[in-house]
Amino acid sequence: MKTFEYTITDPVGIHARPAGLLVKEIKSHAGSAVTITKGEKSVNALKLMALMQMGIKQGETITVSVEGGDEAATAAAIEAFLKANL
Amino acid sequence: MALDYRKCAEEIFSHLGGKENIISAAHCATRLRLVIADNSKLDIKALEDVEGVKGLFDSNGQLQLIIGTGTVNKVYDEFLAVTGLTAASKADVKAAAASRMPLWKKILKTPGDVFVPILPAIVASGLMMGLVEAIPKFVDGFENTGWFGFLDLVANTAFALLPVLVAISAARVFGGNIFLGAVIGLMMVHPALMNAWTVTPTNQPPVWDMGFFTISQVGYQGHVIPVILAVLLMSTIEKWLHKHVPEMIDLFVTPLCTVLITAFATFTIIGPVFSIFENWVLAGAKWLITVGYGIGAAIMGAIYPLTVVMGLHHMYNVIEAGMISATGVNSWMPIASAANFAQFGACLAVAIKVHNQKTKSVALPSSLSASLGITEPAIFGINFRFMKPFVAGMIGGAVGSLFASWMHGTNMAGETVSFGATTYGVTGIPGIPAVNNVPMYLVELLIASGIAFLITWVIWKEDAPAKKEAPAPVEELPAEPMPSVIRCAAGEILQPCKGQVIDREQIPDETFAAGILGEGIGVVPEDGIVIAPFDGTVTSVFDTRHAVTLEKDGMEVLIHIGVNTVNMQGEGFTAFVEEGAEVKAGQRLLGFDREAIKNAGYNDTVVMLLTNSDDLEGVECGLK
Repeated sequence: MKTFEYTITDPVGIHARPAGLLVKEIKSHAGSAVTITKGEKSVNALKLMALMQMGIKQGETITVSVEGGDEAATAAAIEAFLKANL
Repeated sequence: MALDYRKCAEEIFSHLGGKENIISAAHCATRLRLVIADNSKLDIKALEDVEGVKGLFDSNGQLQLIIGTGTVNKVYDEFLAVTGLTAASKADVKAAAASRMPLWKKILKTPGDVFVPILPAIVASGLMMGLVEAIPKFVDGFENTGWFGFLDLVANTAFALLPVLVAISAARVFGGNIFLGAVIGLMMVHPALMNAWTVTPTNQPPVWDMGFFTISQVGYQGHVIPVILAVLLMSTIEKWLHKHVPEMIDLFVTPLCTVLITAFATFTIIGPVFSIFENWVLAGAKWLITVGYGIGAAIMGAIYPLTVVMGLHHMYNVIEAGMISATGVNSWMPIASAANFAQFGACLAVAIKVHNQKTKSVALPSSLSASLGITEPAIFGINFRFMKPFVAGMIGGAVGSLFASWMHGTNMAGETVSFGATTYGVTGIPGIPAVNNVPMYLVELLIASGIAFLITWVIWKEDAPAKKEAPAPVEELPAEPMPSVIRCAAGEILQPCKGQVIDREQIPDETFAAGILGEGIGVVPEDGIVIAPFDGTVTSVFDTRHAVTLEKDGMEVLIHIGVNTVNMQGEGFTAFVEEGAEVKAGQRLLGFDREAIKNAGYNDTVVMLLTNSDDLEGVECGLK
C-alpha cells in the first residue's frame, strides 16, 4: 500500500467539480483501490457523493492510500492532480 | 465505553485558545458549533484527537466539531459548564458569525438576549407576586397576616433585586466575567442606597459630597436599561484591560479597575443621565394626561409599556399618589391598567397561536402574570422579543385608555375626574376592588386586551420553524407535479426546479457538460426554489447552501445551483432542509436569489446529475 498526505490549498476545498475530476482521474487507474482519509473518516475515493460529503476545506490535510494495481504510478498521478487542482 | 462528557468538553476547551477566543457555542443534532475569534489560536490537530470528536471542519466562520447524536448535547452542556459561556441557540451562533445585523436591530435585540436566560426566575416571581398581591384585595386583612409577609418576600425577591439577575445575564451576553457583573448588579441595589421605589418629591435620597461633584445615594430597583448599560461598559473595560494589562498583575488589577471605573461611571454618568431622562418622562406623563378629549390618555396608554421597558414605571407612583391626595381619585390607574392588560391580551394571543412548545410554556404563565399587573415577563419574555405583539399591546392600551378617559368626559386640567381607583400601585385583575366603577373597568380591560389579542392574532406570525423540522410538504407541492427528467432501472427523477430543461451537454460548464460527475440535465430556472426530485433522503447539504445531494433506491443525485457559485460562500442561498432529512417529491430543498447570482457574475443554471449513473442501468435523460 502506498500512502501520502496532502493539504488542500484551493480556497473552496473539494467541492463538486474538483471532486468529480478527482474521481475521474482515479477511475482511469483501474485496479487500484484508493481511500481518502480526513480525521477519522475514510471514504472510497471512487464514491463521488461520499467524497463531497466529507466537506474537505482549504487548509485541511487528507491522507490518500492506494492499494493494488500500479500503486506508485497511481499515487503519483493523484498527487499531481491534487497539486494542479486543489 | 461511554464517553466521559466532562473530559471531552474540557479537552476541547483546552485546545481552543482560551475563553476569550470563543465568541459563542451552540449545537445541532450532531455537531458542536463554535464561533471562534481567531482561528490561528486553535490547535486543530489536538482537537481532532480528542476522544469523542469524530471530525471537524470550519465553515462560514463556524468551527464545527462532529460529536454525534445523543452525545453532542451532553458534551455541549459540559462545555458550557467548563467555559462559563451562556447557552446560545443555533440562531445566535449564526447571528454572531454573520454579525451583519443593522445596529438598531442589535440594540433592540439586546434586552431580549439578556432577559431570555432569566425568564424562569421572573416568570415564577411575576406570577407569584401577582397572586400574592391580589389576595388582600379580595380577603380583608390578609395583608396583616404572617402568611402575606412571607409569601410577599418569596414572590418579590427576583423583582426587588432584578438588577442583579439582569447584570449577571448581561455579563454573559457581553462576554464579561459574570461575578464582576453580579457585583455591579448588587451594588446598584445595595441596602445602603435608598430604594428607588420610595423616592418621592418630598423624600429625596441623600448625596455623597465628593468635593467637586456629588453622588446621589439612590438604588436602581426596578431598572433594566441602566443595568445593561453599566454591565456593557464593565465588560468592555474588562476585556480591554485583559488585553493590555501584563498577565502577572492581571488578576488583581483588571477586576479592581473594572469594578471601580464602572461604579464611578454608573453613579456619576449613567445614573444621573437616566435620572434626568426619568424626570422628563415624568413631567411629560403629567402633562400628557391633561391633554383633552382622551388624546393624552390614549398616547400615554400607548407609550406606557415603552416606559416599562425602560424601567421608568416605578415613578408613576408619584403621579398616582399626587392624584389621590389632590382629588381622591386616581385616574392614572385606568391608563396603566389598559396598557398592562393589553400586553396580557397580546401575550395570550401568542400563547395560544404559537406552535413552539418552549415559547408557549413561557407565554402562558407570562400572560397570566400580566393579567395580574406584573407585565415584565410578558413584555421581555414574549411581546418585546417578537415586537409585533408589543405594538399590538400598545394599540390596545391606547384604545383602552381612550375609553377610560371618555368615561369621565374631557379631562381638561383641574377638572374633577370621575373614573379611577382609590388606591395606587395595582392594575389588571387585582385592580378590580380598587376602582370606583367596576363594570366600566371590566369593559375597559376587555377592550384593551381584546384589541391587542386580535391584532396580535392577525399580524403576528411565528417564525418559520427551525430548518431540521421538515416543513409541511403539503403546502409546498407544486400545483402540477414536475415531469420526469432522468429515468433508469432504479426509478424516475423529476425536474428539480421550474424552468426550461436543457441537455447535459448544454450546461455552461465543461465539467458538468462532459458528464464527469455523471449523467444529468440542466434547468434554466424560472424561480429561485429547488425542490426534491423524488421521495428520498437528503445525504448532504453543502455548507455554502448552493448544492445538495440526495439518495433513493441506490440513485445518488447531486443538485447544484449555478456555475462556480461555490465562490459566493452561501450568500444568496437558503437551505430548507438539513442533512439526513426525509423529503417528499416537490418539497423545497434550497432557495436561491437569482439576482444575487447574476450580480456576482455567475450563471444560475440548476444542474441535476445522477452521480453514480455509471453503476446504474438504463439511464436516460431529458423530458420524455
